[in-house]
Amino acid sequence: MTLQQAQAQIGRYAGRALVGAAGIFAVLWVIALADNAAYKDPKLFLTIGLNAISLAAIYFVVASGFTLIFGLMRIVNMAHGSFFLLGGYFAFHTATSGWGSWGLGILVAALGVAAIGLIQQQVFLRWNQGQDLRQALITIAISIILADQMLAHFGGTTKNLDWPPQLDFRVNFHVFGLIYPFTRIFVILCALAIGTMLFLWLRRTRTGMVIRAGVDDRAMVSALGINIQLVFAMTFMIGSALAAFGGVLGGTLGGLSPGVDNQFLLNSLIVVIIGGMGSLGGAAIGALLYGFVDAFSDIYLPQGYSNYSVLLTFGLLVFVLAVRPFGLFGRAA
Amino acid sequence: MRLRLTPSRIAVGVVLLVAVILCAIGPYIFSDFFVRSILTKTMWLGIAASSLIFLAGFAGMVSLGQAAIYSIAGFVMGNLVAADGGVDTALSPWVGVILGLLASTVIGLVFGAVAARSAGIYFLMITLAFSVLNFYFWGASTDLSGFGGINNIATPGLIGSAGRDPTRLFYVAFIVSILVYLFLRYLIRTPFGITLQGIRDEPTRMRALGYNVPLHRVLAFTIAAFIAGIAGILFIWQNANRIDPNSVNLSATIDVLVVAVVGGLFRVEGAWLGAFVYTVLETYSKNWDLINERFNTVIGAVFLVIVLLSPGGLLGIWDSVRGAARRLGRGAAPATEPGPAGGGGPGAT
Amino acid sequence: MTHPKVRRSRLWLLLAVLVVALAAIAAGCGGDDSAEPAPAEPAPAEPAPAEPAPAEPAPAEPAPAEPAPAEPAPAEPAPAEPAPAESGAASGEPIKLAILSDCEGAFAAFYEWDIGGAQAAFAKYAGGVPKGENPSDGMDGIVLGGRPVEIVGYGCSNDTADKAIEEMRRLVEQLGAQIVIGPLSGDEGIAVANYAKEHPEIVVLNGTSGAQDTTLKVRAPNFFRFNSDGAQWSAGIGDYAYNVLGWRTAAVVGDDYSFPYTTNAGFIAEFCAAGGQISARVWPPLGETDYSSWVSQIPDDVDGVYVGVGGSGTVPFFEAYASLKGDPDPAKITGNLFISDPTFLGAYGKNLIGSVSSGPTAGDANTPEAIEYNKTIDETYPSIAGSGPSVFTYNYYNAAWALTVAMESIGGDVGEGNANLLTALSETVVPGAYGEIKLDENRQAITDNYVVQIVEDSTGDGVPDVKTVRRIPAVDQSFGGTFTPDTPAPDRDNPTCEPRDLPWIGNAEEVDYSSGATDTAATESTG
Repeated sequence: MTLQQAQAQIGRYAGRALVGAAGIFAVLWVIALADNAAYKDPKLFLTIGLNAISLAAIYFVVASGFTLIFGLMRIVNMAHGSFFLLGGYFAFHTATSGWGSWGLGILVAALGVAAIGLIQQQVFLRWNQGQDLRQALITIAISIILADQMLAHFGGTTKNLDWPPQLDFRVNFHVFGLIYPFTRIFVILCALAIGTMLFLWLRRTRTGMVIRAGVDDRAMVSALGINIQLVFAMTFMIGSALAAFGGVLGGTLGGLSPGVDNQFLLNSLIVVIIGGMGSLGGAAIGALLYGFVDAFSDIYLPQGYSNYSVLLTFGLLVFVLAVRPFGLFGRAA
Repeated sequence: MRLRLTPSRIAVGVVLLVAVILCAIGPYIFSDFFVRSILTKTMWLGIAASSLIFLAGFAGMVSLGQAAIYSIAGFVMGNLVAADGGVDTALSPWVGVILGLLASTVIGLVFGAVAARSAGIYFLMITLAFSVLNFYFWGASTDLSGFGGINNIATPGLIGSAGRDPTRLFYVAFIVSILVYLFLRYLIRTPFGITLQGIRDEPTRMRALGYNVPLHRVLAFTIAAFIAGIAGILFIWQNANRIDPNSVNLSATIDVLVVAVVGGLFRVEGAWLGAFVYTVLETYSKNWDLINERFNTVIGAVFLVIVLLSPGGLLGIWDSVRGAARRLGRGAAPATEPGPAGGGGPGAT
Repeated sequence: MTHPKVRRSRLWLLLAVLVVALAAIAAGCGGDDSAEPAPAEPAPAEPAPAEPAPAEPAPAEPAPAEPAPAEPAPAEPAPAEPAPAESGAASGEPIKLAILSDCEGAFAAFYEWDIGGAQAAFAKYAGGVPKGENPSDGMDGIVLGGRPVEIVGYGCSNDTADKAIEEMRRLVEQLGAQIVIGPLSGDEGIAVANYAKEHPEIVVLNGTSGAQDTTLKVRAPNFFRFNSDGAQWSAGIGDYAYNVLGWRTAAVVGDDYSFPYTTNAGFIAEFCAAGGQISARVWPPLGETDYSSWVSQIPDDVDGVYVGVGGSGTVPFFEAYASLKGDPDPAKITGNLFISDPTFLGAYGKNLIGSVSSGPTAGDANTPEAIEYNKTIDETYPSIAGSGPSVFTYNYYNAAWALTVAMESIGGDVGEGNANLLTALSETVVPGAYGEIKLDENRQAITDNYVVQIVEDSTGDGVPDVKTVRRIPAVDQSFGGTFTPDTPAPDRDNPTCEPRDLPWIGNAEEVDYSSGATDTAATESTG
């Protein structure tokens, strides 16, 4: 081992040790050191834990579409946040139209946004295949236009989607007096269902096989006579529909207004930067890490510093990038 | 590099010269409004975009972090000099300027060290995340700014009250723009600049040749951060001596990219052309009934058309026209364009 | 990289597609413009509008046939005026006026309301004739104190101070406006007041922005605000909570930026003045999607909670509250005007029947002034009918009305450097529909405020109504000395909690408008 290699090794381990130490300190802080530490207030801890998981669930739903599209096509869809918001608006107008309902809203949102995603892919992106930065710029342009048009058509004020009454009740866990809204548990269930379905789709079906092969070697897949364009189109639609579905869940939980699109574009970016672009498992891990940091930093930072939770998110990002520049499960393009 | 005087080079030179002369006598022939709201804004926005063009066109790093970087210079200066809001340290404005620039450069260095290890589309995403987190940071830090921002930031005597007389600020911005332009033109011709362009096109080969690729990237990002910092200082002075997080929200972040792409990502002077076009469109489209409230749709559409049709931006169109003219003149022999000006954009792999 | 030649033919095809798409967009925009002003939703993040019930649902005239001009409205030729020699004011040269509002951003929906409010006042008191069915189509024939007025433009900001400054420059420096009515939101107001300070040659009448610093700290001599600020909008609630609801301790919650700081400061100042204590101040960051973590910072043993969480956050905040603390007890919840906002009431109001909130308008008022005012709005601009009780329409209306009164009193002679106009404006008293408005020495309105209560729906639309229960006369900006130019601006920790004498504690009038003749058709129908 040369000196340089040794230095590199030390550098790598030092980095990991630092990250590990920070992680352990954070856990210790939450469990024992903070004013409202977990052992003093277990109910709060459990509530925040569930908050974190349900937050992570929404992040995952949205980011899984983002990462799916990227994984196969190397397209970074900067309009993903716009698709999220658009899906939410579609569902809102369906649900409040008199004949619609929340469930129908999901359907309309998913189909409508999938169609828009398909148009975007076929008209603007398809013939720029392989030019990832140019495609990113195109989607940025589209997101500018979409944001402005949504403002024109749906207005600037907040829209609140209501949960269907069947879901809107609270669950008593009989553990430390924990009572938790079922709607948020429902969000977690949705994310689990979507994660499982995506996993089965990618692992157990022929299309999934083609997609996985396409991720590794597009040219080879085409050469085998498989219509990869069809697979591309389908993947783009599903990815867009996932953004829309996330928009319905997120819009019901937190309201829809201009700006939310940017927020969820950012959320998706953070999740996939942490987890690694193109990896479904990475998106799940990234969403969980981000969700936990986000929810816990609001409440466990010392009084007066709670507003700096955004710095912790940023710290998480920097830590991950310092150790793995392409994310936890990512690989170089 | 040997300079040959071809007709097209002469034409470019003449156009540049006319633009510079027009700017130089601007305050005497244009209204105060035009000087303040169009020309001065063109200058700082152009400087910000030139830092992106330097990164994107010559180092292959398309950054969405330039607005965040310039806001850091602005916020640091705002906090250090006398102002309403922020910590109001009341140092001399020049000290504020220097420390602001220093802060943006240092943050550029540190953030660059993290981000520049990735490349291409990852770099774009990481810088975007950085920008948006930067926005939330200043909003959340009510001691340093908060969403209300910092008002009435003290200016050096040299600038005076730009609100009453825009001339001095304009000339400062104009001269700084020329210096930045000359500096970047010089820089891309130095061995460092040539190496960067090598890294842009063939990072693997450059690494194999023994160049320290990450170090060059980090240095490029740091230099760009310094230039963006200059834009941030001028921005505050032009923006009625104030800044708040919304000055650098996502749309402002993307505006810098739009300006650079519209002007042309492969030529430094494109920055100011793009800035001028953007500012004029933004200001005067309001008076045009059809657009009025839907200005952003128009900007998005212009951006889209340019990205789709001319990766070199408006200057790229000029290049294509010139290329076509040359082909017509010489018959066949389509000379390959020097540099990356033709074709597929920085991301073409 | 695709080969250029292969691409070229596709490019033309694409260009054609784009042109078509652009045309479609443009057409879409054109269509929107006419559709937009139908005031889809009241209720944004900031000054929530529209308590219910404009006095009348505007039946009557099918078209604004008669704008009932006070004067015969000379179209253009200057009416010969007895010109005071030295200023040359009444030369007949038109005064250039502009109206600054938001057409992008969170408050874009109120663009027409703002312009409509101001122009309805001109139609009623200055002979203005609308050019079209939408307020932003323009207005002709305005004459103020014998001088013709030309509206040179409408400012289109986006809720950010930067944009407001850009628009001010365009209106003043490019289009030559001498008088500006606007802007809309708090941070814009501070920036515009600073701009006015630097440009003494113009006169600015605030639109509906409510940041306290605008008049308390900036104090531009040519910036006039005929509406109350965010803290004044909270007047009456602290007294009510202490003396009627019997609270002794309270927690305040609000988004972490200046507007909630200011409204919550009004509550804190008054509640503490009455003798109450503030146990906790909780400030979730703006744009938070998950409030449960913040709700858990509210102590369990407080007597009540004052909620200043607005915009997209109000409903999620209460849902998080319910999930952690159980369904809210209306007697233990009050809030700023966000919680009497129709959008919020529709989504969550049924859980808060009996809670009180406050604001500068009383939508259900059946006083002759209120009825006449709402009729003016509805008849001048049927396209924004019903928006009268909204603070957007009401405040812009009063600004224009004040300008009219002042210009009449000086006969259109604004004087050297506007000296006459500035003096006249600072002495102007506007008999506003919801209470008389006069200015203090900082050119800030002293006017009435109202405590309103959420009540069961009586209109059949399923959305709870709002009923005005108290009028707090002549609320001023200082809250008995709590807020002065030298005290820290409201923030996370200010104002501190101190007992004081507030002039209006104990002077609030109980009011009940429901007994009157008017039909309380709620504005929810517009939302």
